[in-house]
Amino acid sequence: MNEPSSLPRVPLADSIDRMIQKIGHLIAWSYVLLVLIIITQVVLRKGFSSGLIIFEELQWHLYAVGVMFGLSYAQTTNSHIRVDLFYSHFRAKTKNVIEILSILFMVLPFIAVIFIHSLDFVAESYRINEHSESPSGLPFRWLIKSVIPLSMGLLALAVLSRLYRDTVLLFKGDL
Amino acid sequence: ADRVLLKTPIAFGSHLPALGTPIKWVSEQLPVMSDGSVKMKIYEPGKLVGAKEILDAVSSGKVNSGYATAGYWQGKMPAAALFSAVPFGPEAGEYMAWLYYGNGMSLYQEMYDTNGFNVKVIPCAIISPETSGWFKKEINKPEDLKGLNMRFFGLGASVMEKLGVSTSQLPGGEIFGALEKGAIDATEFSQPAIDKLLGLHKIAKYNYFPGWHQQATVFELLVNKDAWGKMSTGQQAIVENTCKASMTNAIAEGESMQFEVMAKAKDQGVNIRYWNDEMLKTFEEKWDEVVVEKTAADPFFKKVWDDLSTFREGYNLWEANAFLPRAKNN
Amino acid sequence: MEINEILVIAMFLSFIALLFTGIPVAWVLGGIGIAFAFIGYLADTYFDTITGLDFLTLGLVVNRLWKIMDNWILVALPMFIFMGIMLDKSGVAERLMNSMQELFGRVRGGLAITVTAIGIILAASTGIIGASVVLLAVMSLPAMTKQGYSMPLALGTIASAGTLGILIPPSIMLVIMADQLGLSVGDLFMGAVFPGLMLGAMYIVYILVTGWLKPESAPVPVDAKPADMATVVKVIKAVLPTLLLIFVVLGSIFGGFATPTEASGVGAFGATLLALYNRKFSFKVLKEVMQGTYNTTAYIFAIFIGATCFALVLRELGGDELIESFLTGLPFGPYGIIFFILGIIFLLGFFLDWIEITLIILPLLAPVISALGLDINGYGVVDNPELVWFVMLVAMALQTSFLTPPVGFALFYLKGVCPPNVRLTDIYKGVIPFIILQLIGLLILVFWPQLVLWLPAAAYG
Ligand code: NA
Ligand code: NA
Repeated sequence: MNEPSSLPRVPLADSIDRMIQKIGHLIAWSYVLLVLIIITQVVLRKGFSSGLIIFEELQWHLYAVGVMFGLSYAQTTNSHIRVDLFYSHFRAKTKNVIEILSILFMVLPFIAVIFIHSLDFVAESYRINEHSESPSGLPFRWLIKSVIPLSMGLLALAVLSRLYRDTVLLFKGDL
Repeated sequence: ADRVLLKTPIAFGSHLPALGTPIKWVSEQLPVMSDGSVKMKIYEPGKLVGAKEILDAVSSGKVNSGYATAGYWQGKMPAAALFSAVPFGPEAGEYMAWLYYGNGMSLYQEMYDTNGFNVKVIPCAIISPETSGWFKKEINKPEDLKGLNMRFFGLGASVMEKLGVSTSQLPGGEIFGALEKGAIDATEFSQPAIDKLLGLHKIAKYNYFPGWHQQATVFELLVNKDAWGKMSTGQQAIVENTCKASMTNAIAEGESMQFEVMAKAKDQGVNIRYWNDEMLKTFEEKWDEVVVEKTAADPFFKKVWDDLSTFREGYNLWEANAFLPRAKNN
Repeated sequence: MEINEILVIAMFLSFIALLFTGIPVAWVLGGIGIAFAFIGYLADTYFDTITGLDFLTLGLVVNRLWKIMDNWILVALPMFIFMGIMLDKSGVAERLMNSMQELFGRVRGGLAITVTAIGIILAASTGIIGASVVLLAVMSLPAMTKQGYSMPLALGTIASAGTLGILIPPSIMLVIMADQLGLSVGDLFMGAVFPGLMLGAMYIVYILVTGWLKPESAPVPVDAKPADMATVVKVIKAVLPTLLLIFVVLGSIFGGFATPTEASGVGAFGATLLALYNRKFSFKVLKEVMQGTYNTTAYIFAIFIGATCFALVLRELGGDELIESFLTGLPFGPYGIIFFILGIIFLLGFFLDWIEITLIILPLLAPVISALGLDINGYGVVDNPELVWFVMLVAMALQTSFLTPPVGFALFYLKGVCPPNVRLTDIYKGVIPFIILQLIGLLILVFWPQLVLWLPAAAYG
């Protein structure tokens, strides 16, 4: 796994990334919680056969939280997968330019579309006080749905930090 | 008016007989009947959106129509389940009577309107009873159900839970694996001809009837209201009447194809069983308890329930006198 | 050619072109989806096409994203990743690897064969490619490197053994295929058992032959001794706790105690207990494991999310119809069409992953296959035997899509957990022989349908 230190240092971007990683370290506990929930469910289901649906739903709730907020974390650790067939041979400046252009014309529009539409998606769920479709399932579905705009906002921040980092590096002269 | 293309994500694969085939039929009929002025393009489940997202997509205008069953929206509106299938509820004829000639349709539309969904609802298929479930062992008394893990959908799930069954709601494609691996002990899905496609008869050898939880199931076409408003009166009539014709088509198709499948299942060693009186009585008692809870929790559920019950009380006089008793064959 | 047909082709081409710039795959998929939605909108406005694409329609991406979140099958993925990383940190994985290799004594390629064997076991327990590849890589790559294996052989073995899970049941892919085509899941599961085992056996034979022909690529450990009874006993004692864990995971699925998702959680928990038992567990280890899980899961799912945007726009542009009309117009005989389709799937596998192919392409192919009138006799109890057989051919062809660059998920997962000095090109080189083996396996299935159909016919007859 790539380490955050693999990116050249740029002060402001570093502190934004550090903040996102701190948030990430907190949210990463969702997976530990998930392990415990699953164990609890297996025990309950075999032992008492009760409360099954709530635990089933809690599982994908926790998984969804981990997956969605993780996107910004993986961005700060520079882990998103690239085809490095040619990329690994590019000069640093070329990489900076590619990063800047791709963030401006691909990543940010993509995040923006999801972010804007997710606001309606959450508002709609909140308006009708959406409940799990299963009678004995979890209430407040808007809560888990609001993970989409929140995590996309955090991802946007991580991406902007990367944009700033690469812009600074591009104009900074050779390292 | 301009030509209309209804882009319609569907909740059931169009290969599933009587569950998905009716909307395919509708999409073939519409352009013929309208001389090309109304077309429908169907998108198999998940191709544009998943089944559970259809209402949101249509209401917000991301697509202009969709095909599903209202039971999917009971997390958004508890009463929605009543427009899909009612335990110990009406058979297809009575259900349609209430919808078209009672207050059913106006309540159905009112539910979407008062909850702020921008959709026009049109019932577009109906199927006759589903099977009551596939079990690995005989169920002779309520205690036999206790502790089972069962896949069960809709209002009936609340009934089963009261009998000590743990219910889950696996999607169709996952049922076989879960049943085979023993993660669930029993399941219901749909009618015999559809259940056969899942291969349930290969694992669970006891197939119970009658389907007390779903005597009839209604499927709906949702059309975005703005898109609906832009259609001419003629186009609207063509869509509504094609759907009405589809109700006939769907139930005819569904009724035509069950007995052969059941006969074949018998040959393959499946025991076709009819719930004994004690079991049926227990299911009904528990359902009554569920109704009390649901009507207390949601005023609109109560409104629809009261209206349906009033209609059914009236209908009883006719039903009890008009029909011959059914032949039973265990 | 229609404008939207041009757009579909342009979409594929720009995807391929942009991949090679090194922009993260997830963002290429998502960005191109958005860009072509905009182009489609302009085409509707100025060229009178009816793609129906606009900003509002694009909002379906959110509904599709929600479908990824609201998915309890996928919950197993982070759990198996957790289990893999925990097994690594607890030090038991390497011990398992080393001990099991002692069983092979002086057999060349013993460790690689162990990897394949464990790959088969994982395939039968999880069926989740990413997790299997990650787990195998984390467990075996350090040991193989230390023993001086050639990098391509080591990487190829891991990637191919890790992808066995897509074929050997339980397999998420087969469940989705059954759902798409209205086939029995049970028939498909049963049908996949022999093809899956056959492939695993072919890998092992290949490794043995390679070790024999090129001894330097699979060195024998310097202190290797022939296995005797004492070694066997020693090994069994050493690996017992780990084997127990695998049996708990596998057993809880086959014994019906848990679904694969639950089993994955049990596995993660069991791995943690093993770390405790080995006195390797600490708060620091727990933090490393969960942060590693958090990071790895995220970059895998980023691709799911990008792909869902890409696929949405592709469908709105009519990509489905384009492919269908093309196939139905082919002038070949039945086997000619089958070979052609398998060839196409193989080629598509270079750029698309199995989910997209299963959801987009397969439903278009089923009617074509049914209409071919292939007569596969003697399997009456299996519904649609020719479709079951064909699905298995497709499954086998899709298996290669995990290994074929530039978009090969197994390659990505593997790259994700490799030390930074391992380049993607090393991995590409390593998987080529295994891709050839899979194609040979595919050929065998084409000419011996009974490999697929015998088991479901016998089991349910
Ligand atoms: Na598998
Ligand atoms: Na590929």
